Amino acid sequence: METLKQKPSRGAKEVLTFVVLLLLSSVTLLTTAGVILSLAGDVVRFFERVPLSEYLFAKEWTPLFAEPRYGILPLITGTFVVTFIALLVAVPLGLALSVYISEYLPPHRRARVMGVMELFEGIPTVVFGYFALLFITPLLQNIIPGLNIFNPLSAGLVMGFAIMPYVSNVASDAMQSVPQSMREAAYALGARPYEVSLRVVFPAAISGIIAAVILATSRAVGETMIVAIAAGQRPALTLDPRETIATMTSYIVQAATGDQPTGSTAYYALYAVGFTLFVLTLILNLVAQYVVERYRERYE
Amino acid sequence: MNKVLDTPQTFNGDTLKTRIDRVFSRAIALPLLLALLLLAVLLGDTLYRSVSVQVVRPDEGPAKTYAFGLSTRDILYQELLARDYTEDEVKLSLEDPTERRVLMLQNRVELMWNTHEGPFRYVVRGLRDDRVADFSLLQGLRRWDELKANLKPGEQLILNPWIDQSFLTRPPSRSPLVAGIGTALWGTVWVLGLSLLLAIPVGVGTAILLEEYLREGRISRILEVNLRNLAGVPSIVYGLLGLTLFVRALNLGPTILPAAMTLALLAIPVVVVTTREALRAVPDSMRQAAYALGATRRQVVFRIVVPSALPGMVTGVILSAARLIGEAAPLLLVGAAAYVPFLPSGPLSEYTVIPVQIYLWISQNQPEFARVAAAGIIVLLMVLSVLYMLALYFRNRFRREW
Repeated sequence: METLKQKPSRGAKEVLTFVVLLLLSSVTLLTTAGVILSLAGDVVRFFERVPLSEYLFAKEWTPLFAEPRYGILPLITGTFVVTFIALLVAVPLGLALSVYISEYLPPHRRARVMGVMELFEGIPTVVFGYFALLFITPLLQNIIPGLNIFNPLSAGLVMGFAIMPYVSNVASDAMQSVPQSMREAAYALGARPYEVSLRVVFPAAISGIIAAVILATSRAVGETMIVAIAAGQRPALTLDPRETIATMTSYIVQAATGDQPTGSTAYYALYAVGFTLFVLTLILNLVAQYVVERYRERYE
Repeated sequence: MNKVLDTPQTFNGDTLKTRIDRVFSRAIALPLLLALLLLAVLLGDTLYRSVSVQVVRPDEGPAKTYAFGLSTRDILYQELLARDYTEDEVKLSLEDPTERRVLMLQNRVELMWNTHEGPFRYVVRGLRDDRVADFSLLQGLRRWDELKANLKPGEQLILNPWIDQSFLTRPPSRSPLVAGIGTALWGTVWVLGLSLLLAIPVGVGTAILLEEYLREGRISRILEVNLRNLAGVPSIVYGLLGLTLFVRALNLGPTILPAAMTLALLAIPVVVVTTREALRAVPDSMRQAAYALGATRRQVVFRIVVPSALPGMVTGVILSAARLIGEAAPLLLVGAAAYVPFLPSGPLSEYTVIPVQIYLWISQNQPEFARVAAAGIIVLLMVLSVLYMLALYFRNRFRREW
């Protein structure tokens, strides 16, 4: 009778298993701490040498010049231009695709289409960058005169396709969780399929759709290889998509592959840019989560 | 009668809507077609670029070949002796690591399947760039006769597929004609294998903890929010983390181990998500049945739930591996080098991986490197499709209906 009374989780092995699992999962927490700590130390050292006002407001980013200037603005505008173009492609296409997947495709064919998109999403970004630089850019140069070899336009266009599956995945998940009864009610009132999709399902899933767009923005901001290959690595304060620019990510790649003496201000600048990037994407992710939690329509 | 049935005009408001409906349902499938088109163009373009028509001036033919199975060092030893160096000089220069390295870079050892001294022998070649001209496939074929007529003595006109057997085994090189992906391929195997080895215990452990042990509460909430944020951190930031913590603070240098650790951190959130899905697919009735038989929680989890969820977990791990294999940005930061002439020999040796190698080829000035990069991309995509097929196989072979 003694054994029966014993609660299942009392044994030493039980506790040990739990502790081991807890230790393993604490690695994920340590990672976050590691990211922040590894960035923070060098960021502090950077701002000991460069005033915050210069970092935020100076209009040039030239860490390797004889008279270095550390203004993040050119990198921000570069990132903005590429992200904007990518979203112009990814959001309309991705949302249309998500409506198609969740509302128009019969469930047995859904898996196949999702599989294709999964494959598409799995293509390494180096490959997309290669394609943008050697195929899309020459193509666009025929149409747009004055287009630089390295330009954010083709990088953004290709990046849009690269993150389209991501938008459609998140958005179609949100649409599929809209209860069937709402669609049926709309059909019963005489609505057409497109009206059901656009006027019933779309508004009902709006929180998930907004989250999809924000998360895609965060992806585009953090995307590295396409930009580093096709958009160039010359920081310039311009919104013109034909000019060579540098984004935050491509600057990091450029600085890290070049030889930067450890301890120089230019070296710490790498971390300042990395930290800015981290904070920006973190904010975007948190906002997306907030939108999902706060504005979720609850269906009983 | 007929007239009434045939005339939709009776539903006057609806003809327009019907038309909109038709247009809408077609327009909405357009992105899928666009994506497929882009995929087809991308593959076609890459394949097209990986073949070219070239005028080359080949070597006169190797004078001396070496038996299969000799080490590079031995081959160099014999080769240098044959070039009138004294034994002491050769020994000295081969013992000095930097000197040896230079020698290995200058003398490329290549396996040939057919030589005048028999099949499968090694030959030693210099770094001479023997390219004369390079034409794209269409252009080259169109001008084939003209080019052939204008060949100078000693030159050859060839159709060069940039992927061949030796492309997969050759080390990188400054000359595009002899650049290969061998070391990058092995580097990828090493880095990927090691990072999965590190990521799987942590990822699976966290998933089991979240799915099977923790109730909804503060700990599980913290873990989940944290994981979601980690999944959103750009991979290049992980590269910065790896550079500061693993490469510099732990002083591991630009070697395989810190690269694998960095990629492992990147993989953990993905492994957690896929493992949780697999665990969630195991029906509660199985857990309840096990508990009813008096099993402890540990027994339920590790003898019932995990074995049942294993196929799904394996699929998930393979898919995360497919994600990792294409990562170039973080590895550029933790020291994947452009020029690694040796196969990696352990976790602390220098390395490069396929996507990084491709990136570095793309950033070269010589236009032929674009062809080498195309060949590299095809290799990368082939490796990826093998992984996807493996994942599909596991998914279908062991699928269970509960």
